[in-house]
Amino acid sequence: MSLWTLYFLLLKATLSSFSGLASLPILREDFVVRRPVLTDRQLNTALVIGRTTPGPKGLYVVSLGYYVAGYPGASMAWAALVTPALLVVAMLGVAARFTGDPRVKRMLRTVVIASAGISLSATLPLGLDALTTPLAWVLAGVSLVILLRTEVDTLWVMAGAALVSWAASFVNLTRG
Amino acid sequence: MTAPPLAQLANVFLRIGNLTFGGGGPTIAAFQREMVDRRQWLSPEQFALSYALSRITPGTNLFAFCTCTGALLRGFAGALVALGAASIPSCILVAVLTAGFDTASRWGAVNVAIDGAVAASVGILLASCWSIIAPYVTRANGARTALLAGVSFGLSLISTPLLVLGLAAVVGWFWRERE
Repeated sequence: MSLWTLYFLLLKATLSSFSGLASLPILREDFVVRRPVLTDRQLNTALVIGRTTPGPKGLYVVSLGYYVAGYPGASMAWAALVTPALLVVAMLGVAARFTGDPRVKRMLRTVVIASAGISLSATLPLGLDALTTPLAWVLAGVSLVILLRTEVDTLWVMAGAALVSWAASFVNLTRG
Repeated sequence: MTAPPLAQLANVFLRIGNLTFGGGGPTIAAFQREMVDRRQWLSPEQFALSYALSRITPGTNLFAFCTCTGALLRGFAGALVALGAASIPSCILVAVLTAGFDTASRWGAVNVAIDGAVAASVGILLASCWSIIAPYVTRANGARTALLAGVSFGLSLISTPLLVLGLAAVVGWFWRERE
């Protein structure tokens, strides 16, 4: 498979989805079923890597690109991931013309409030997946309190939680 | 609000975009804390605009969010810097990890540390939810704000975020502020 074909197939999949893993069925159809250049095992491995690295879950696409064509394939996957994001610049140009309108301001306000509800619902699956031990509950709770009561950078909170979790593994506190 | 230098912009997107675990949600929450609450680069309205536009942009919401906030802060150059800084290092990490996956999966200590970071990201998301709605929880509008957030939460469990945001925008059209 040529790098351009790889780019356009990955771009098609990312353009067809609005969240991290929504492109998965299209990618499986294109790379596992129609053109067997990947196996289901590689697809699953890519998902695991995407979940265990920082950043969006959609980064598993980079892993797929690597499996198809090595580092050049991974570069094409990065390009396919970031290309759709540039559309937002044009959309911003249109939207910015209307942001002074009081009704648009009120709409943005309700969208902000709704986004808090959406974030809360996104916390549920993440919590179910992550909070499997008493230590994980404590880390989540302490992180919440620190973030609400102090100005500490979120990265220090995450780094501290990672360090505590690592240290706790020596006394078996990371088991459920 | 003053536009930050590109180097400072790159620094923030580089750090938060590539070091926050748990997916796009916690990462956007961390950006909200950094750029709205701490540095005050963005107003809550600009954050809302970026959030809404990133949701209706196809592809990875987080990258669209970074591009949009970068464009709001420093124009097209800011958009490119934000997008590049937030995406390139983590993509390189994924490619390198894929190349050495069998070896990396045997590093138990790394997996345990990541588990701790992901647990903290639950706290980050919850804190972000509160800091997003806190400015709107006033004596006059607190009940309506809580109701809207609660209904959005319930709807997003059974529907798509895009639909919930669309409905919220319709509610906003008729929303009347109480003094």
